[in-house]
Amino acid sequence: MAQQKVIHFKIRRQDGPDKPSRWEEFDVPYREKLNVISCLMEIQKNPVTSSGKKTTPVVWECNCLEEVCGACTMIINGKAKQACSALIDHLEQPIVLEPLTKFPLVRDLMVDRQIMFDNLKKVHAWIPIDGTYNLGSGPRLAEAKRQWAYELSKCMTCGCCMEACPQVNSRSKFIGPSAISQVRLFNAHPTGEMNKHERLAPLLDEGGIADCGNAQNCVRACPKEIPLTTSLADLNREINKFALDRWLRK
Amino acid sequence: MSITQKPYHFLIRRVHSLLGLVPIGLFLTFHMILNLSARGGPEMYDKVIGTMRNFPGIIVVELIVIFIPILVHAIYGAWVVYTSQSNVLDYKYARNWFYIIQRISGIYTIIFIITHVYLLRFGEASFAALQHFVSNPYGLIFYALGVLLAIFHFVNGLWAFAITWGIAIGPHSQKVLSYALGIVFVLLSAVGLTDLTAFL
Repeated sequence: MAQQKVIHFKIRRQDGPDKPSRWEEFDVPYREKLNVISCLMEIQKNPVTSSGKKTTPVVWECNCLEEVCGACTMIINGKAKQACSALIDHLEQPIVLEPLTKFPLVRDLMVDRQIMFDNLKKVHAWIPIDGTYNLGSGPRLAEAKRQWAYELSKCMTCGCCMEACPQVNSRSKFIGPSAISQVRLFNAHPTGEMNKHERLAPLLDEGGIADCGNAQNCVRACPKEIPLTTSLADLNREINKFALDRWLRK
Repeated sequence: MSITQKPYHFLIRRVHSLLGLVPIGLFLTFHMILNLSARGGPEMYDKVIGTMRNFPGIIVVELIVIFIPILVHAIYGAWVVYTSQSNVLDYKYARNWFYIIQRISGIYTIIFIITHVYLLRFGEASFAALQHFVSNPYGLIFYALGVLLAIFHFVNGLWAFAITWGIAIGPHSQKVLSYALGIVFVLLSAVGLTDLTAFL
């Protein structure tokens, strides 16, 4: 009998936030056009390591399976990406899976990315339109600008840019490129522009835009190809004017 | 909310960036060019140094233009280095390498400047003193690295300066700038190393 072709995995396991981590290896029978998620599902069905030892199923998170939700972001062969769009046929083996390191670990490949959502709240990444009376229709957004803004709106808060950023770590409070880019998106909107200052002001704080170190990994790590470094530089220009103007008017 | 906010963090980061160019970077450039006088031999060099040293109020100028800005830039810079965490082994991009080299060169430059000032400004500031120091091969390597890394730190810092101050925004302008600064680095390094060869 010819030996069956297998996909070799090396997965970093950890039973809980305060538990020690360990490596476990798995062999998944090869089929065409698999992705990392479908292999993790195979492992879930039969959680036995390559050496034949029975183990617990690997824990991971996933949701949309079409690279728009960001839930299945993990480190695959050293780089942060989505497990759903990581195709086995394009990956070098053994495929090494690790949890993101910039967020608190829940278990195995699952982390808690709450900090990213807290950061979006911090920078007011929304447009307030609620009032006590009908505010009517807002100003129109030019089609060319809408198309441009759409690119920025593709952010799914997945955490790839945070993982790749050397300025995001336990010693720094940097909120990361994604939340800052959202400030540019909402400030570009004709209605959002009315509350521009509410989004710029938090960026002056510790952890704000001044903490960017210009390593520019973010723009290359972003799976949605959002021009993060352009957003950062553009907001630098905006915020310098904003800070100086505010100070001079004091 | 914006009333109670104290944006000192932003201010210190911007001051740190500005000091790197004015006055520190400009001083570095001036210093490299002035030291070409060493090529004219010990007498000319010692004469230039003598003129500088006897300049009335030179210590005040040195304090304001050189010592205090470098001290502020170095102390805050050390904090910036502390709050970074390199991942260049996983993300092997040129810019990521520049990021870490910027931090290493900053730390090296602090050590170099302390030695350099102790030796030449407060020690015996003469052609012979430096000649003696670089006659040791380790001393020469220490000095050559000091010159090159200080220049790198300045020139690469200029690139970040252009982004911090919102001058170069898009990827294309940033790329063109990095090539232009590459030329500046080569030129300044040539001047700096030429200075050093005078003492060999």
